[in-house]
Formats: sequence, structure tokens, C-alpha cells
Amino acid sequence: MTGKFVKVLRREFLIILKRPVYILSSVGVLIVNAAFYTTFMKDGLPHDLPIGVVDLDNSSTSRMFARELDATQLGKTVWYDDIHLAREHMETGKITSYIVIPEGFNSDVQSFRQPHIGYYVNSLYFVGGALAYKDILTMVNLTNGAVQREVMRLKGMNEREIMGKIQPIVLDQHQIGNPAVNYGVYLNGVLLPGILEMIVILITIYAVGSELKYGTSKHLLKTAGDSMVTALVGKLVPYNIIFTVLGITLEMLLFQWLKYPVKGSIFWMFLDILLLVSASEAMGLFIVELFPVLRLAISVGAIISVLGFSLAGFSLPVEAMPPYVQGFSAIFPLRHYYLFHVQETIWGSGFAGWWKEAVHLLLFLFLPFTLIGRLGHAYKYQDYERN
Amino acid sequence: MKGISYLGTWVRNWYSIFVNELRLIFSDSGVMVIFFVGGLLYPVLYNLIYMNGTVDEMDVAVVDNSGGAYSRRFIRKVDATRECNILIYCASMEEAKALMQKGTVHGIIYVPGDFDSRLVRGEQGVISTYADMSSFLYYKCLTMGTNLTMLDEMHQIQLERYTASGMDAQAAWQAVQPVLSDESLPYNKPFSYTIFFISAALLLVIQQTMFYGESLLAGTLREQNRSFASMPGKLQGLGIGRVLLGRGAAYFSIYMVTGTLIALLIPWIFSLPQRGEWTDIMVLLVFFVVDCIFFTFTWSSLITRRETVFVLFLSVSPICLFLTGFSWPQTSIPEFWRYVSYFFPSTFGCRAFINLNTAGGSLALIAPEIRAMTIQTAVYYVLSSVSVFIENKVIENKEKIDRLKDKALELRGIDPDEARKVIAGK
Repeated sequence: MTGKFVKVLRREFLIILKRPVYILSSVGVLIVNAAFYTTFMKDGLPHDLPIGVVDLDNSSTSRMFARELDATQLGKTVWYDDIHLAREHMETGKITSYIVIPEGFNSDVQSFRQPHIGYYVNSLYFVGGALAYKDILTMVNLTNGAVQREVMRLKGMNEREIMGKIQPIVLDQHQIGNPAVNYGVYLNGVLLPGILEMIVILITIYAVGSELKYGTSKHLLKTAGDSMVTALVGKLVPYNIIFTVLGITLEMLLFQWLKYPVKGSIFWMFLDILLLVSASEAMGLFIVELFPVLRLAISVGAIISVLGFSLAGFSLPVEAMPPYVQGFSAIFPLRHYYLFHVQETIWGSGFAGWWKEAVHLLLFLFLPFTLIGRLGHAYKYQDYERN
Repeated sequence: MKGISYLGTWVRNWYSIFVNELRLIFSDSGVMVIFFVGGLLYPVLYNLIYMNGTVDEMDVAVVDNSGGAYSRRFIRKVDATRECNILIYCASMEEAKALMQKGTVHGIIYVPGDFDSRLVRGEQGVISTYADMSSFLYYKCLTMGTNLTMLDEMHQIQLERYTASGMDAQAAWQAVQPVLSDESLPYNKPFSYTIFFISAALLLVIQQTMFYGESLLAGTLREQNRSFASMPGKLQGLGIGRVLLGRGAAYFSIYMVTGTLIALLIPWIFSLPQRGEWTDIMVLLVFFVVDCIFFTFTWSSLITRRETVFVLFLSVSPICLFLTGFSWPQTSIPEFWRYVSYFFPSTFGCRAFINLNTAGGSLALIAPEIRAMTIQTAVYYVLSSVSVFIENKVIENKEKIDRLKDKALELRGIDPDEARKVIAGK
């Protein structure tokens, strides 16, 4: 038994050595993706978003307003003489938004005639639009505060009284789990494990399905002494080693080297990623058992792993999806990884918080056992079409 | 005379290659599934998933230790916003945090005990908010809901205070808001996730399904040693132009149909904004599809087996999506990745589509993108010609290369005959 097992293992290592696709599509793909997403959003939050200013007043007050907008961390002003050009540039995404300061702005402010500042935001470019919107809104209110302060100082009020009048209510905002509002922390923490899930599902299907496609499954069964379990376990162990190393390295990268906040323990995150890897492997195996035709299985695996990103619910929350879609989210391992991740990194809840998700992920492991006979039949007789 | 007969041969060859490619595509169920089912299924699925597009009435817990008129009015106003719904009043922060951890609420508003008394004294009152950062949309909802309320409440209290100090209502109003502002969010007023995501994803679906489908076909042919690149010896590699253009015409004719469905019909079915002229969108499609074809021909020359394209390149799709600048703003993309983005037709195609279809621009407005795609097309045409030429040479010298490969295996201590039994396709 063990002799046979070792033979299958050696056979699999030979395949991995001979065909670069296995290492390229696991280690290679994860490295490329990790490098992409972590450097792409390395600033955490975008800054110096271009905000157009059409100053029709050209007074010291309007210039000061634009300069202060420029001085905010989020914004960077771009000057326009003409509204049409500003609008064109906003339409094409060159600037996130633009403000129009009307003629007579200065004199209207001085004499309390309440001039209107118009601002136009392109919210098709989501993050940039939302941030620019917030930045402009803040600046308009700060300007109002500044004008009031000048008036009250002239009236001889003290600063404490003035602040009470200018800003009677202050919001003290806290962001639990991501105090710096870092977009990378939020996105990469789930997106990169999602890429790993995709890698695991696809490679599992490809490795198991290739035996069928290229007609080598009989040779595999013979090596394993006609035991389907020995064959599959021996075949998947080498990949399991690769995926485990990748998973642990990924969590180390996120929480140790990039210092993404984790309230609980990084060791529980190791557990989380190991469960994700195992569940995805089981999922991949189940798919190829269900469709013992490589190209069909791999297409299904591709669709499932791409949908996994959306249905994990970390971008648009699951409860905001239509009811008939919500239930489907449970069949994606990434969904449970994400809920586990929230409990551990944001709340540090430990076992009490995430045990249900761990159980859900473990349940995936039963999937392949239900159809192992079907794949065994296909391996033995090779009676499905190959191409 | 010679020129005419050359032209005649060229057209005949071109036509037979075109027909042959169509036959290959339509007789391969895998490619058909990707082109027609995948190309149309994904847009539909995404529209269903992102049907609502916004998080409205997000549940929020309140810990009100002040319990006065001001704090109650503030909370009532938050409840009235589109973003937030006050689900529950908690006795303590611990209770509220436990609810947030369970996912019952996604935000907490904490009003300290001295809030009302401070406001009554004419001082500043502080309200603390706690956002659940497990999704950015939760954060956005709580921030928007409480900030808009804060501004409104601020103005109201200011008005009360100014009038109390003896100003008449008009003067007080002018003092409170010396500068008024009018907002205009013309293309996506509610910050809908659907509008922003689908607008960017639609053209990407065209590029990616074409790439996966064509690579599947090319991989299959190469596995079966009948690659399109194996040209009759007498042509000496001169037939590259008609091979590329003949095959390209096949993909062009298919993708102008599915592309039209994706770019015009899908937004119509799901009532997404369609502000562009349909003729302009067709012009964009022509440039984009042609660009995608030669992009695909170039990169698919790396694919030697049928299924490897998915295993290797599936994760490129989300990367392409981010490179369009649809989420993380274009201007904040690091320089290196900006150069990488120039490799993909989607970078320009998707941007042009967003500006044209969703923002309602005109063709003149997307001229820079069209120009970029034209340059890309030219470069990829040359590259794909080179790759066909090289592959043709490889096929001609196949035996020599195979012998070299076996030798390389032996050097690594692997018996090539043993390897052939285990590793397929030989």
C-alpha cells in the first residue's frame, strides 16, 4: 500500500517537473497577482485627485478657495478658463470633478448675498468620484466656517464661543478594523486569497482531468494498485504541499510583511487559509468528478472561481443582492473565508467567533466522496469524450 | 497579368482560410460555449448579482447616553437618510459592538452623556461613529448618513443660536451659509455599484472571451499537430498576411454580432444608462474588436495545449479590470502599471465605452482612445505575423527540436520513454 502510494507520488512529481504549466500557474500566477495588487494600491487611499476649477470671479477669495482645495491631501486643482473644456475632461475621466466659482463671488460673500458654488462629480469612476465629492463638500463647509469666524472675530467673541457657533456638532469617526481607511487592506485581504482559491480549483481540475484527456488514467490506476483513493491522494498530495506553502506565504505577506491590521492571531489566519485551500481542492475535485471531461470541468471551474469574487460579498455586501442570489453565496469557499477573516482580523474573536465558518469550510471536504465512484469508472474505462 | 493572378490567389486563399476558421469555431463546442454562452452569460449574471447596486437603509445601532432633545433629533434625522436605518437602541457600547460583530448592524452611533447639556450651553457637542470596515460600502453609508445629518443639524442649531442672539431669520440664514453650493452628479447620481461596475466590465468580456476561446482553438490545433501556422512549403512563409486576415475576418464577423449584443442589448435589457449614439458605439466596437483580434493572435501563440489558457491566464481578467482605472483612479495608478496597461485593448476600450455610453460623450471625445487602439492594432499585427513565422519554422524543424527535448530530459536523469507514458499528448 505505502509502496504504491510512493510510486504515485513519484509519478506526480515527474509530471510537475516535466510540465512547467503546473508551477507557472500556481507559484507564478500568485506571485504576479500579489505583486500587482499590493503595489497597485500601495498608497492605501488615492491622493491628489485632479479637481478642475473654473474661476469666473478671479478674486482673492476665489483664488484662496481653490488654493485651499489644492492643499487638501485628497485634491489637486487643475485650472480651466472655460466650462466646456472642464466638462469634457470630466466626461473622459481626466479630472474627477470640477467646481465653478461664479462671477461676483467675492463681493457676494462680503455682502452676505450667498453666492452659489456649483460642483460636478463624475461618479462613474467610483473611488475617485466619491473621494472628490467628499473633499469638495468639506471645503465648502470650511469656507462657510471661515467667513463666519471673521465676522464673529470682528464682533469680539472669544474663540471658544466662536467654535460653538461655527461648528456646534463635531463627528468623531472611527473605522473598526481598518483605522487608516486603507483600500489595499480591505481589498487585498480577500482578493488575493480569492486568487489562490481560483488557482487551487483550476489546477486540481487540470491535474485530475488531464489523466482522462491524455488517456494516462489507466497507467495511474495501475501504479496505484487499482485503488482510486491511493491514486487521488497520491496525485493531490504534491499540489497540497504547494498550495499550503503558497497560502501560508500569502498570509505572512499580508499580515507580517505588509503589516495589515489583524486584531486576533495570525496563526488563526493560517488555519483560515488552510481551510480555504482544502475546501477549494475538494470543490475542484468534485467538479471534475461531476464532469469527467477536462474542457467542460475547467470551464465550469473558471466560471465558479470568477463568480466567487462577487459572491463573497466583500465588495457589494450579500444582503444587498437580490434574495435569490444570496443563498448561492454559501457554495463558494471564499465567502466563508471572508466571514472567518472578518471575525479574526477585525474582532479578534478567536474560536467563538468563527467556528461556524470553519465547519462550513470543512463540510466542503465531504463533497468529493459522493462522486468518487463516477470518476473511478471514468478513469478505468475512459468512456467519456476527450476533446 | 502577374499582379492580377497574385491578387486572385490571395483572395481565394484568404476566403478559404476564413471559411475554414469559421468551420473550426462552429464545430468546437468548447469555443462555442465561451463565445456565445460565456460572452452573454457573464453580463447577465453580473447584472443579476448587482441588480440593486446600492446599500440602502443599512442597519445601525445607537448608544444614546444623553437622551435629550438634540440627540434624539440627530438620531431621527440619521434614520431618515437613504443610507442608514436605526435598528436598535443599545444600553452600552459593549452591547452594540457585540451586535456589530455578529453582523446584525454595520455601524454604531455613540452620543456621550454631556451632548445635550453642551449644546444648550452653546458649546460644541461631539458624536462618535464606528464603522464596520469589513466592506467599504458600509463605511460609505455610515459616513454619508452621519455627515449629511451633521451638516443639516449644524445649520439648524446655528440658525437657532443666531436668532437667539437677536438676528432676524434672513440675516441668520445668510450668516450660517455665506456660500451656497449646488451639487451635480450627472452620470451616476446614487453612486450605484451596478452602473460603475457593469459599464467597465462589458467590453472586457469581449476581449477576454475572445482570448480564451481563440486560445482554446489554437491550443487544440497545436495538440493535434495541425496548427494554422503550418504553411505549404512552396509559400516560404509568404502567406502570413492572408492567414492572419482570413482568420481575423472569422472572429470579426462573430464578434461584431456578440459585441453588439453585449454593448447595446445588455444595457438596454437591464435599463443601464445609454447616453451615447449607437452609431458611435458601433464605430468604437469596430476598432476595439479588430484590436482584440490581433492582441489575441499574438498572446495565444504562447498556448500549446487546449486547456492551459484558463489555468494560466484566468486571473488576468480582474487585473485588466483594475487597469482600466474604473475603481482605483487612473491618475493614482503607479507608473509601472500604467505602462503595463498599454498592453491591453481593454484599457482604452473600456474607458472609451464608459465615456461614450455612460457619460454620453461623442466620438471626438474618445479620439485619443481610438488612436491608442489603432497603434495597438498595428503593433499586434506585426507581432502576430512574427509569431506565425516563428511557429512555421518550429513546425518545419519539429523532429530536430523533439530530439533536443529528449536529450534535455536525459540530462536531468529522466527516461524519455517513461515520461511519455505518464505525460500525455506525446
